[in-house]
Amino acid sequence: MPVRVVDSSAPSQVSGGNSGSTCPQPCTLLSVGQAFSGTQNVSNVQKDEAWRVNVRIQGCDLDHGYLCGTMEALNVPMADTPVITFWEGEIVDTKNHTFFTGKWEATLEDDIRHWSKFPSFSPLQSQVEADGGKSLDLSNYPYIFMRWKELYFVNVGTDCGLTIAGFYYVCFSCSDGSINGFYYDPNSSPFQKLELKSTNEGRSGFSFSSYQLQ
Amino acid sequence: MAKSLVKTERKQGFHFLFPLEIPLASATMPTSASVSAATSASRPSTDLVARLGSSDREVQLKALRDVKNQIIGNRTKKLTYIKLGAVPAVASVLSDAIDGSVCGSSDLLVQSAATLGSFACGVDAGVRAVLDAGALPYLVRLLSSSDEKVIDSGARSLKMVYQSKLAPKYDVLQKSNMEFLCSLLNSENENANGLGASIITNSCKTSAEQKALCDNGVLTKLIDFLDGSMIQREASLESLASIMNENGEVTSLFVEYERGQALGLLVKLTNERSARTRLLACECLIIISNVSSRYLKWKGIETKLISYLLELLEEPGHIGDEASFALSNYIEDKEDLQKLACDANAIDVLCTHLQNQLLQPKRFEGILLALANICSRLEICRAKLLHMQEFNSINDALHHDCADVRAAACICLRSVSRSVQNLSAGFFMNEKIVMPVLQLLHDPSLTVQLAALRAIGNIVVDFRTHKSRFMKWGGVKQLIQLSMSMNSAIRLNSLWALKNLTFEADNQCKERVFRELTASSLASLICDPEPCVQEQALALVRNLIDGSLDSIEYVFVEGSIILNAIGRHLERASTAECKVQGMYVLSNIASGSEIHKDSLMELLFQDRENGDPLYILNFLQSNDSHLRTASVWVIVNLTNPSCLGASGRTVKLRNAGVISQLKNMVNDPCLDVKLRVRTVLGQCMTFGE
Repeated sequence: MPVRVVDSSAPSQVSGGNSGSTCPQPCTLLSVGQAFSGTQNVSNVQKDEAWRVNVRIQGCDLDHGYLCGTMEALNVPMADTPVITFWEGEIVDTKNHTFFTGKWEATLEDDIRHWSKFPSFSPLQSQVEADGGKSLDLSNYPYIFMRWKELYFVNVGTDCGLTIAGFYYVCFSCSDGSINGFYYDPNSSPFQKLELKSTNEGRSGFSFSSYQLQ
Repeated sequence: MAKSLVKTERKQGFHFLFPLEIPLASATMPTSASVSAATSASRPSTDLVARLGSSDREVQLKALRDVKNQIIGNRTKKLTYIKLGAVPAVASVLSDAIDGSVCGSSDLLVQSAATLGSFACGVDAGVRAVLDAGALPYLVRLLSSSDEKVIDSGARSLKMVYQSKLAPKYDVLQKSNMEFLCSLLNSENENANGLGASIITNSCKTSAEQKALCDNGVLTKLIDFLDGSMIQREASLESLASIMNENGEVTSLFVEYERGQALGLLVKLTNERSARTRLLACECLIIISNVSSRYLKWKGIETKLISYLLELLEEPGHIGDEASFALSNYIEDKEDLQKLACDANAIDVLCTHLQNQLLQPKRFEGILLALANICSRLEICRAKLLHMQEFNSINDALHHDCADVRAAACICLRSVSRSVQNLSAGFFMNEKIVMPVLQLLHDPSLTVQLAALRAIGNIVVDFRTHKSRFMKWGGVKQLIQLSMSMNSAIRLNSLWALKNLTFEADNQCKERVFRELTASSLASLICDPEPCVQEQALALVRNLIDGSLDSIEYVFVEGSIILNAIGRHLERASTAECKVQGMYVLSNIASGSEIHKDSLMELLFQDRENGDPLYILNFLQSNDSHLRTASVWVIVNLTNPSCLGASGRTVKLRNAGVISQLKNMVNDPCLDVKLRVRTVLGQCMTFGE
């Protein structure tokens, strides 16, 4: 039975009468325990290079626009073991966080330059440029924008030869759980691209675990 | 109680400081002749009790004074005299004096009433003894006396009784009782006013009672007292807290009274010289804030209130103790106030008190609870406390002699261990923290046990590879033992901890939990009489079968005892939360091999010969978006096109009406559901659906 699909995924502007939440809705593919794998392209003018990367979500608190987890870089040159970092994420929800970073040495221009590399950002761009996207209703938009900031190395010392001074502009697709990101650090190669896909860890389907803090 | 005959004569210069227990001046000044006798009689004796029953009025009077002077402020002596039967003897003196069998008995009335009040002051056994002796009606009758001293004495003693939870409930909804209460409040005798306020504090619990008191002008009277003497002010503050507690209507009447005049008076009282008045005013403001925080914002005293309470912490005794509890109450579950408290250096101030080696248990408990509340929501607060040296004091408090302190330390630990960042760093999974909490799982106090279990429940989330340490320390064994407890709260929280422990755990950990818990016990817990226990048992299974593919086999052991229990459960599940967890278990099974998927199909379609709709169809139509999401995930996994049997399963699901139900959900208001439904329909298209 064919069914007409009404696509209401384009973000709308918040009207005065909108009393519901404009924050992104929960997405099971972005919940605690979910794992992603892919690569981070760290090429520079001298050399093409990419690291394999695994990410796992450890905490998610949509009310506070908060996400956290670990990132594991696997074939890092000069590192004997995979390098794991703990990161915290700011979910752009127009309530706790807007598209404007306002810290970590990122200017408004840096923000727009990075966000606009995501095709899913283009419907939002004009509004973001106008007011940082504060008036956008992202509750039905199938993409979630975030900033991920690594806080510490989990399994190696700070002398491991890697830096976590920068942060990632991240776009998550609620449809298939894919993640795209760009690392921003004024002192590192620009636009290091992160590409991750939701992993099933050997299963033929999606599995979900959970924990609850009391 | 009897109807009011309270005299409204002008008071005659009698002033008593409530609730301090002080002797009447005339009674406490022994004459020189009586000094030696008083000294010799300073130990409780049966002889002294016997003299209370003397027929000689003077002997009786002296005996009353001796008893009263001995028991004032001395709990041990009060208990000894209660055991010696002094209270019925004193009550008898009072009743005889009231009945007029003793001439010139005014002194006897005053002394016997004051003695009974002393017995009741701060000692529950004393209150019980006074009530058991039937003294209450006689004390009430004193309020009708023409002698102001007698009224004072009766009112003060009754107030002592009504300050106890053991006092009989006074039904203010009864017309005569309300009249009596109003007459006490309208009396010009301050002690009668104080008694009236104490009765309200003791007995006003329901919104009907609060409204009735308001309707009879009590609120207005209490507001008048805010500008009165110290006795009136303090009595009024306590009663106002009772009358406004969780009552928006009464609170709003108070706040709006004469364009905020009453609220202004209340705020002013937070700067009074008397620490007790300041504390009571703060507590009253907290009651108002709990009804609506805008009232305090309106007055701009949200932050000031925190500072006032922190200052009151410096007070010795009861006031300082209460201040920490009041601070806890103020900021509980209010993230904005927790942030304000943190900004006001509350964590530093509270930690400074923790450095005091001679901290009394009540104060220790209150400080730990206040810290727990400040750290309950915000990472910034937790980070501050965790970096302070005094964090070790919290750990030490786990060993404290007093159960309330041990419980408060666990609550504080639970609060700070909500930090995902620190859990991820493995901060809490160390022997110094975990071992004492594990010991408290067998504490004689149930409150402590539960608080320890809840703290453990957070700590075991630990994302690092430290879960093996917890097993080594015997934690798994203990949690499994407790999951068999007769107490449902213990079962609930131990399963909760096991669920958190098995989140992202390695195979060794999960194998250990499953082997020690056993499939049959887990199946029983899924069928537990308590839905909250069922939910945790299902969530535990969900985590056990996540991760490696082999772990799905847990639900198939012992003739699929767990899977069958889940199937039966979903047929008749009591709560949406249970159904959600159950459907995620099925989803995890459906993410497995062909055999797992086919076994699940069998479960879903079992006993459907009679044409009953599948329960998953009902779940897909649920109002609960979490349940719809979990249910759609089951279908997503069953129809995964990369699996050989997907086509056949899709046909079966279509024939059962599942696919057409999903087609009705392509514009589901929940984005997650909508996207998963589209995934399923996309998958079905690969089979030509």
